[in-house]
Amino acid sequence: MTYAIETEQLRYRVGKAFEIPALDLRVPTGSIYGFLGPNGSGKTTTIRLILGLLQPVSGRITVLGRPMPAQYARILRHIGYVPEQPHLDATMTVRELIDFQAAFYPRWDRARATELVERFELDEARLFGRLSKGQKAKLMILLALAQCGELLVLDEPTDGLDPVVRRDILSALIAYVSERGATIFISSHLVHELERVCDWVAVMDNGRLITESPMDKLKNGTKRLVVAGAPAEIGNPPFQLLTRESSNGAGEYWVVGNWEPDMTTYVESLGASIRDVIDLDLEEGFVELLRGFRAKGRAVRV
Amino acid sequence: MRGMFRAVLYAQWKWSRLVVVLGTVAGFAIPLLSVQGAARPDRGALQTQELLRAVQSWGSAYPLLAAALGLLTAIAAWAADHRGRHIHALTLPLPRWQYVALRFGAGLALLTAPIAAVLIGALLGTVMATLPPGLQAYPIALTLRFALAVFVAFAVFFAVSAGTARTAGIILGAIAALVLVQVIVSGANLEWDLLGTLQVVLLQGPGPLAVFTGRWMLIDV
Repeated sequence: MTYAIETEQLRYRVGKAFEIPALDLRVPTGSIYGFLGPNGSGKTTTIRLILGLLQPVSGRITVLGRPMPAQYARILRHIGYVPEQPHLDATMTVRELIDFQAAFYPRWDRARATELVERFELDEARLFGRLSKGQKAKLMILLALAQCGELLVLDEPTDGLDPVVRRDILSALIAYVSERGATIFISSHLVHELERVCDWVAVMDNGRLITESPMDKLKNGTKRLVVAGAPAEIGNPPFQLLTRESSNGAGEYWVVGNWEPDMTTYVESLGASIRDVIDLDLEEGFVELLRGFRAKGRAVRV
Repeated sequence: MRGMFRAVLYAQWKWSRLVVVLGTVAGFAIPLLSVQGAARPDRGALQTQELLRAVQSWGSAYPLLAAALGLLTAIAAWAADHRGRHIHALTLPLPRWQYVALRFGAGLALLTAPIAAVLIGALLGTVMATLPPGLQAYPIALTLRFALAVFVAFAVFFAVSAGTARTAGIILGAIAALVLVQVIVSGANLEWDLLGTLQVVLLQGPGPLAVFTGRWMLIDV
């Protein structure tokens, strides 16, 4: 498997307040990779490190097969980036911003830009500062797509947008990926949205990667078990025990990761019995992963 | 690279066109206004002195205009990037020194308009004026000096305004520290004129800001 983005023991520190101690991230080429995490977990900092906007203290970053930030200018030719906050000049019109951007990208696709202007119903004569939040987001997506990059890095691109605009943007992204086979690295708080479009997912908290896994494996492997007669010590189980709570006399609730049906035999070998196995959606799994990680302070490899 | 320069030039023109247009008008008008008196037909020894005084009285307008143009054009060159926290600029696919060079080059290109206006105004003023014996016009020299002053002002303010608020704070802090040291030194009755020394180093030849000082004369002996 080749990787569009790869970080190895990446370390970054801002004063004493925040640190990414040793980040190992692998974004498979051609995947739509969802990057989840609560506010302040380090998602935007990680993205800025990947784009060469910040200098790591140590570690290695490889983007599209080249070292970052050593070859940032060559790499950025192939990356479309949509930041968390609108960053374009408010005094320029939509047309002026498109022309400005086009001048810097040799593979700029004018036809795609024109098509997206029409599809997103953008007024080319309107100043960027006068656009609505949704229109600004659409324009930034347009600029990222029309430069025909092999990698799109999107930092909460649909945050705070209404469902119609979100759908427009996501459908444009999916169309782009299916047409060009590009990789998308997308961070978002909207877990359900990522669940629909992503085939890989990573969860970050407090500068540490909690998990990185194919979406279906994470969703299918994260379960809530209702367990009766469980001993206090369960040894070294083949699954990840994320949280463990008693449930009003009915036994215990276990939230587990990396679960497979044949693992019931291990639980039964402890003298316990599984009364129910409940599927969790990505949002529930995400919350339980965070709870488990914060309780134990360790990464979960799925 | 030409396409990139055009794009940056257009953006900077949009941001600083008012400054450039006003500067161009002023640059054209100042030399003409300074030689108004020289167009009179009745000239003598007194008119020579009057003319020199008139030309000299307008002399300080050139360095002031150069400094203002340099300052405002430099601020305009970086203002949009500062507002966007430089994210857009830093994610453009070119080496950062090239981006800075594009911004600098575009600023200088825009400033050629007021410099050309000074040249045209100075040449026109010189042609229209009837100079008393012993006086000579220096339109080219004045324009070259104005161009150098504009370049120095733009370069200095471009460098300062390219920095972050922290950089500006460090510069202001250094100036404040210098003034504070001077006050303490003066209070202790020590004969150590820090500010005077700094003034000499900066403003007297071959100091970097020496071009702004001295006489700016379109017509002189």
